[in-house]
Amino acid sequence: MRALLLALVATVTLQAQPRSHTFTLPNGLRVVHLEDRERPLVRVSLLLRVLPSDTPPGRPGLALLAGRMLTGPGGPRTEAMDRELEAAGIRLDTTSAPEGLTWKLAARNREQDRAMGLLAELVLRPILNPQHLAACRADCLRDLFKPGANPADRLRETLAWDPADRPTEASLLAIGPEDLGTFQQRVFRPERATLILHGDLGPEQAKRLVILNFGSWPAGASAVVPAAADTPKALPAQPVLLPRSGPALRIQALAPIVGDLRPESLALLSLLVPGDPALAPLRATWEGTGLALTLDTPAAGGREAWALFFGRLATLAQRGFTPMDLDRARRSWSAARSLEALDPEAQLAQALATLAGQTPTREALGALTLKDLNADLRLWLDPSRLRVGAVGPAGTLETLAIP
Amino acid sequence: MRLLVSALFATLALTAQVPRLTDVQERRLTNGVRVLLVERRGLPAFHASLVFRGGRAEEPTALAGATDLLARILYASTWPEDLEGGRPQVALDALLKQEEGLLESLRLERLRELRTPGADSHRAALEAGLAAVQARLQEHLSPSPLADLLRAQGGRQSAEATADALVARMDLPVEAFQAWCRNEGQRLRTLQLSRFSGARAALVADLRDKAEPGPALVLGAALPGHPYGRDLADHLPTVEALRWSDLRAYARRSLSPERLTVILVGGLSLAQVLPDLEKHLGTLPIPLDREEPPLPEIQASLGDRRVQATLGSTPRLLTGWRIPPRSHPDHMPLQMAAQLLGGGSASRLPSHLVRQKTLAREVVLRMDLPGGRQAGLLLVELEPAPGHSLAELEAALHSEILKVQQEPIAPAAWSRALAQLEVDHLRTLDEPARLAWALGRAWAEGGDWRLLDLELQRLRTLAPETVQAAARAWLQPSHRTTARLEPSVADGQDPLEAEMSRVLLALAAHRVEDLAQREHLVAEGLRQLRMLSPDERRRTLKLLEAQLPPAKR
Repeated sequence: MRALLLALVATVTLQAQPRSHTFTLPNGLRVVHLEDRERPLVRVSLLLRVLPSDTPPGRPGLALLAGRMLTGPGGPRTEAMDRELEAAGIRLDTTSAPEGLTWKLAARNREQDRAMGLLAELVLRPILNPQHLAACRADCLRDLFKPGANPADRLRETLAWDPADRPTEASLLAIGPEDLGTFQQRVFRPERATLILHGDLGPEQAKRLVILNFGSWPAGASAVVPAAADTPKALPAQPVLLPRSGPALRIQALAPIVGDLRPESLALLSLLVPGDPALAPLRATWEGTGLALTLDTPAAGGREAWALFFGRLATLAQRGFTPMDLDRARRSWSAARSLEALDPEAQLAQALATLAGQTPTREALGALTLKDLNADLRLWLDPSRLRVGAVGPAGTLETLAIP
Repeated sequence: MRLLVSALFATLALTAQVPRLTDVQERRLTNGVRVLLVERRGLPAFHASLVFRGGRAEEPTALAGATDLLARILYASTWPEDLEGGRPQVALDALLKQEEGLLESLRLERLRELRTPGADSHRAALEAGLAAVQARLQEHLSPSPLADLLRAQGGRQSAEATADALVARMDLPVEAFQAWCRNEGQRLRTLQLSRFSGARAALVADLRDKAEPGPALVLGAALPGHPYGRDLADHLPTVEALRWSDLRAYARRSLSPERLTVILVGGLSLAQVLPDLEKHLGTLPIPLDREEPPLPEIQASLGDRRVQATLGSTPRLLTGWRIPPRSHPDHMPLQMAAQLLGGGSASRLPSHLVRQKTLAREVVLRMDLPGGRQAGLLLVELEPAPGHSLAELEAALHSEILKVQQEPIAPAAWSRALAQLEVDHLRTLDEPARLAWALGRAWAEGGDWRLLDLELQRLRTLAPETVQAAARAWLQPSHRTTARLEPSVADGQDPLEAEMSRVLLALAAHRVEDLAQREHLVAEGLRQLRMLSPDERRRTLKLLEAQLPPAKR
């Protein structure tokens, strides 16, 4: 009887946790299937990775512009397609981010065939219509430079970019239809893509759907388009200073996620740094692209505020964390894994991050030493690697300088 | 006939497919706290939402910003020092009281300096005193973010102040339930608010940098004098003057047990959760002052109102209609009308104005702004495409609204709208946090979480004629407020508005002693003046200037 009860509990538990299967199509498309039969819903996420080398020298903004052309008005989604999607109750969102292009859809299980068919149509036959180039370019410029927008918003937007990669009006104007064609050829390949299916469909059905819709996607020959050499990163940029009226000064910095930081350090530092009292009165928030540090202060003491800002960062970097902090962060990180069960979208994101090697493993986390953690903290908060800026009265901004 | 058959078919399909909320279990604790539980067997985690009915709309004007501050201080983190009773709490209370006194003295000193420049200042001494107290306070505060009891257990939490409620959301592993319950009870008993000064400063900074003033402008003009129309950014001096002890007293009244619904979704059963909930939350004291502040009624027919302003980076047209509260029978038909108008890329406004006529670049449609407990707004925000004016866009929008009211609704458009609402509903059921918020919102806005189910049933029996009748009754000119926003040249204010602000401030300085009240009056004056045309504004400015002494003109 007890065994029966245990088996029942185990079955119920297993039912609530999505079962996962992973496979790769002959064309290189990697697929993760997370089976969850709780509700008659299917969610699909497809990520096409964009690499820094996809942007040739002198063309910063190419990925942004291509993304805009694929996702914005005038893109490949025609009105007829939108009607079909909405009539079937299929929600489809396309987003463009520095790491790649993502299509996300949610549909009732009875619409899974149609949903996958429409997704394949968008991905396999992307249309970068040169007629929309000028309009999309104007949109990109407007989004990037936000004329007339709140200076605090403009600062945030500016700091989100690596100065070496931030498009300018000239670089966007230099992008022509050939650049877009080359970009499309280079990026829209199955071996660049990861497909995650989640929800009310079994493994056989998932495989059938993927093969039917993406099996004919021809693998790209990697030699067709030679990769451009990575452009060297710029020297630490000057602070971005944006004047605004009013009595307040805001100093802000972004500590970006860079490749030389260990993923396991980042996972733990993102738990340890925001809210550390050593930073007060700075506010630290984890933003996904990095750590945003903000100080709001009366404009009268600009120079003192600037010194305070960097002083607090130096204090934290020098102090570092203790073995107890490391243990707590490890425990908290491990316990937080169970929360993914509450959010299907998080499960999709987690599956993508795991495949991309961006999620630290428990083993790597366990092997991380305190010395490594604190070394990465110092590297992360190194003032020469921060993107820094301020908004405030012009007179106050003139007094600021990198210490 | 074809329309009827199509609607019938869509209704039947919906009935067959959409699950109902039968798995919501409801209990009341001894002191009146409501508990809603949605059991998801086998999930190793749970989501908890604490929904306190009230929200910004119930704040007295003198405590504007209190709900936002409570959301930030009370529910952004779970610090052990905020949950301790006894001697540590007495010591922390004493320091917070001292900090409060010094913050207030410093604020008054800054105001005195502004009023009488060059006079002797005690500012430096006060700042030094404050720094010393804050240093002592720091000794009582947790030394690491992972001292946060929720984060230490792998949990995450967030909170939000809305017009109708304060909502705290937490996700935790199932094993942490008991500890969570204990902490929540203790949090509400202690109401320590130890991070008061930092949170208040952060809120002031965020309000100063508020990114989206357009909707606030429309709300202010559409719902004048009502808390729903209040823009917190106009109450900065009040927020800056808010004191720790006042906020604490307000929290005791507004976060009382009978205003609280706890919603749990996850791997927990009722038998498992009730004893702990009763022990920790069911024993929370009921305040003596239980009277709920009456909210003024909002009249729907205030006439066609217009606002013109220069702000933001792009020209925009915002049109809002005062619509009935969520409990009103016309609310669901209006939600369907909103879905037909702007519920997807193929819906009426994006299809006609963006794609076909290329008059607009973007359409955004929002319902129940800022809340649904009282009459709120159905707001359409349009950005003109290059080469098209706001006037053209406004005429086109009115014509589309007229068509929804008068022309038969195409069966395809009707079934598209239904299909989307159905998938949205399925997703709500599938995502614990979303389900908890939908239940909490239905309770805070409509007085009963079952409203969510009821709305679904209404949707199933809804006929296109009912939607059109509701659109005719509510989306009419006498319920309408329109804002035409022209982009500002650079960072600065519209020169006319800047001048108006200067004159109003100078006039108010003669008549009103209290600075907070003075700034509020100026903000309200500016709001009213925006409803005039630029010519009328110029004339009013001259009249106002004439009332100033010659030296101040």
